[in-house]
Amino acid sequence: MDVAGEQVDETTDESLAARAVAGDESAFETLVVRHQSRVYRLVRRLTGEDGDAQDALQETFVQVYRRLSSFRGDSRFSTWLYRVATNTALMQRRARSRRPVESLEAFTARFDDEGRHADEAAVLAVPCHIEQTIDRERLGEKVRLAVDRLPDLYREAFVLRDLDELETAQVAEILDIEPATVRQRVHRARVLLRGFLSSLAEVTR
Amino acid sequence: MKRDVACASGVEVLMDYLEGVLPADVRADVDEHVAACERCTAFIAAYRETPRIAREATSFELPKELGDSLMAFLRAKRGPPER
Repeated sequence: MDVAGEQVDETTDESLAARAVAGDESAFETLVVRHQSRVYRLVRRLTGEDGDAQDALQETFVQVYRRLSSFRGDSRFSTWLYRVATNTALMQRRARSRRPVESLEAFTARFDDEGRHADEAAVLAVPCHIEQTIDRERLGEKVRLAVDRLPDLYREAFVLRDLDELETAQVAEILDIEPATVRQRVHRARVLLRGFLSSLAEVTR
Repeated sequence: MKRDVACASGVEVLMDYLEGVLPADVRADVDEHVAACERCTAFIAAYRETPRIAREATSFELPKELGDSLMAFLRAKRGPPER
């Protein structure tokens, strides 16, 4: 397509979205196929459960279809899509009555009275070797539960930034918070999970 | 942060440090502290590994049957888009 002398790539998300709004059903379906795996992984990580993830995946694309005409192209289509998916997953998670779980706060970094690390270097470095000391499947199960136990605000930012590997600025746009706040929340999640991983070595000895 | 400043201060700014958004002078102080602190070096190594371990543990694949049924669900579900 040539608009005002400029080549427009008809395969970009944004051009497919424009075609879908104009009534091209195949363009919408191309967007679904292109993004369904990544959206599933995101909502699965955010909801922490298979059933919720399935519902959130379906609801995300229903919402995208219905609201596509409100996509103005101010941000990337993927950012807009992930915002819809994130909000849908979080609503799904909150709607489910959940058993209270023990917070991960106990695994925060520990310092002595002078502000030095309370643990020895060997203990602090445990996560670097944890995959050699714990069965992969068992470790995976424990880590998934630990991610699910993160405080909500930390988990959302951590999933988007560290697990889905989005840029900090994109996460800020999706969550509608400042980049500095994203870094602060992701940092807290990393500190707690690092502490949790360190603790696993003690229980497997 | 100088060497005589505690590890706790460095941990507080660790993500900013690793993302390269700290002011140059603060970054230099952190560099100096970490170079002399075995525990901070270990902590940072583990802190950097943590996201990868969590990412691999949660690398969920879209179940084939769910992928297959999604499009049929959407075709049945969707009405006309809002204009």
